[in-house]
Amino acid sequence: MKQTLITGNEAAAWGARLARPQYIPSFPITPQTECIETLARWGADGELPNTYFDRLESEHSVMSAAVGAAAVGNRVFTATSSQGLLLMHEVLYIAAGMRLPIVMATISRGLSAPVTLWSDHNDFLDQRDSGWLMFHAENNQEVLDMILMAYRVAEDHKVLLPVMVNMDGFVLSFTDEPVTIPSFEMVDKFLLDYTPEHTITPDRPVTIGAVALDEYTFFRAQNHVAARNALGVIEQVQDEFEKIFGRNYDLVDEFMMDDAELVLITQGSMSTTTKAAIKEMRADGIKVGLLRLRIIRPWPASAIKEALKNARAIAVIDRNVAPGKGGIMFPEIVETLYYLESRPLISSFIVGLGGNPQTEEKIKEITHKLMEDLETGKSRVEWNDVEES
Amino acid sequence: MQEFKSIKDLPEIELFTGGSSACAGCGGTMGLKLALKALGPKTIIVNASGCMTLLPLYPTTPLKVSWIHNAIENASSTAAGVRHGLDMQGHDDMNVVVYAGDGATYDIGFASLSSAAVKNERIIYICYNNQSYGNTGFQWSSSTPYGSETKTTPRGRENQIGTTFVQKDMIKIMGAHRVYAASASLAYPVDFLNKIERAKNRKGFSYIELLGSCTAGWNYDSRLTIKMSKLAVHSGMWPLYEIEEGILNLNKDFKELKPIEEFLELQGRYKKLPAYGVQKLRSLINQHWTELKEYNGRRYV
Ligand SMILES: Cc1ncc(C[n+]2csc(CCOP(=O)(O)OP(=O)(O)O)c2C)c(N)n1
Ligand code: SF4
Repeated sequence: MKQTLITGNEAAAWGARLARPQYIPSFPITPQTECIETLARWGADGELPNTYFDRLESEHSVMSAAVGAAAVGNRVFTATSSQGLLLMHEVLYIAAGMRLPIVMATISRGLSAPVTLWSDHNDFLDQRDSGWLMFHAENNQEVLDMILMAYRVAEDHKVLLPVMVNMDGFVLSFTDEPVTIPSFEMVDKFLLDYTPEHTITPDRPVTIGAVALDEYTFFRAQNHVAARNALGVIEQVQDEFEKIFGRNYDLVDEFMMDDAELVLITQGSMSTTTKAAIKEMRADGIKVGLLRLRIIRPWPASAIKEALKNARAIAVIDRNVAPGKGGIMFPEIVETLYYLESRPLISSFIVGLGGNPQTEEKIKEITHKLMEDLETGKSRVEWNDVEES
Repeated sequence: MQEFKSIKDLPEIELFTGGSSACAGCGGTMGLKLALKALGPKTIIVNASGCMTLLPLYPTTPLKVSWIHNAIENASSTAAGVRHGLDMQGHDDMNVVVYAGDGATYDIGFASLSSAAVKNERIIYICYNNQSYGNTGFQWSSSTPYGSETKTTPRGRENQIGTTFVQKDMIKIMGAHRVYAASASLAYPVDFLNKIERAKNRKGFSYIELLGSCTAGWNYDSRLTIKMSKLAVHSGMWPLYEIEEGILNLNKDFKELKPIEEFLELQGRYKKLPAYGVQKLRSLINQHWTELKEYNGRRYV
């Protein structure tokens, strides 16, 4: 184990390298480029001895090639962002439907038009119903750790689903942070050899991706069951991860939640800023806490309900937008809490689109609005960075 | 390398059994059945969405080889993943074969095809060309020949020709990728299977395009598939040739081409093509044939 300063992209590349994938198809897009360039450079230097690093002509083909290699039993890694992730969209459903445990780092970037290079979560959350499991990292260490855990979860025979691990573009992808890189020996103890069950080999003909008639619905249902199974598997994997690497993760990340009456719900790197703001507000006697969504799919409903059982007012801070509706995660939280006997007020705040800075001041502002909500008894849907007219 | 001399040499092995849902007399289906004789059991077929996607219908399949269908535009990239995947597992003795329609090849899947070819991936790409989007009910693709009527290029008061575009010269384009590129016909199975044999023994990408006549869309009697295939070759509508290392080789030479009318008359899709349309089609074909004759044995691309 060694600690070093690396970017989020390099942390993802390290996660992949330690997992010893056999196949890495690639296509460049900012802000993911550094991740695949790092892997390419290692490949050229002979540091990925059992890996074929491939270059395709588009992300659609990257995911298609990933499907092909995974279908014959390879451990596969790739990475993308933004328009690239959207171009993969069609094949993401196919990878999940074929139950192929591909792991992909997605580095969030807002979507065109207009063009932006900076982060928000619409690209990632657009894939919400593709059948992939979706993890979201807060910092570079978690990026690396999540990729290792993603393989364990994806390859578990109760799951067999692909996983994407998201980090915020630029905020993490190009920012150096101290990251502990585990040794290959430790990772080999954690990540067993992948033994696929239903793959194509020379001796046994197999049909993959055929047409199904009435049975279609049963395949989809199995997909759903597998994703639900993943919740328990993730918890087991987190425990085992802690035993080997000493770092502890839960289905949801709770910060100063013990007596919190006001709860801010976030995803990804803005959670760090939010934690800093919460510390300051706590010093002023405000009972505020943070719930960070680490695992988006499968949806850890019980963990979320448990964490929010004492909350009086909640702000779902969405770094994304479903135009004509509001934040994407807001209704997910509302639905999750709908059946509680006493329901907290839940407000929606849309912030930080296209890299718009997510400052401590903004977090404090939102918290004060929550306090107003408690007084008026009314919740709200609000854009933090613009006046809605 | 094995070379078949006559139809009696063709392998007896049958890897395509009964129970497919393709139309009777379908050229694409017959092509796969034939191709598998040369390919053998250690083959994985990578299919692009199209008529052939309906061959395996869960939970059955008429095939005794592996099969993967991903989507319509990505058979080549899927095959590249399969190829590298198998090689990484030490299974380099397997044939990775794309079997895709002309729409998936000429149009929507062209980028992934070109990319796999340029990288000279060890893949055998067989395009069964029914000159249309067959599975969706016979619409125009960029391999539909001038003068053919399709559902999206119907003849009408304003347009008596139907398809007014001239199809892409795909074999030339693939030849220009510096890979092996060849045309093939069901009426010449020895030639077709020898081309597959050559592809099998190459270390890189091979592109073989088979005229896959379509009883439903071309609108002809399913008994006539082989006759149709033969007439297409004899009339110059579907010349048999190959390009290797840029050099053209005409596989079936004729002193004189048969008139195209004999081929056209058998099919519904050319019915009511006005005389000036037939004239233009004839001249396009003569032009192509003259070019092939001129470059025979010489650098073509
Ligand atoms: C992205 C996408 N667009 C459209 C389709 C619908 N589609 C299915 S098969 C097909 C026609 C394919 O034509 P071709 O490749 O020539 O094969 P054929 O059907 O003739 O065998 C089309 C358009 C699809 N499956 N995917
Ligand atoms: S529609 Fe044409 S290509 Fe498709 S199965 Fe029928 S005959 Fe074959």
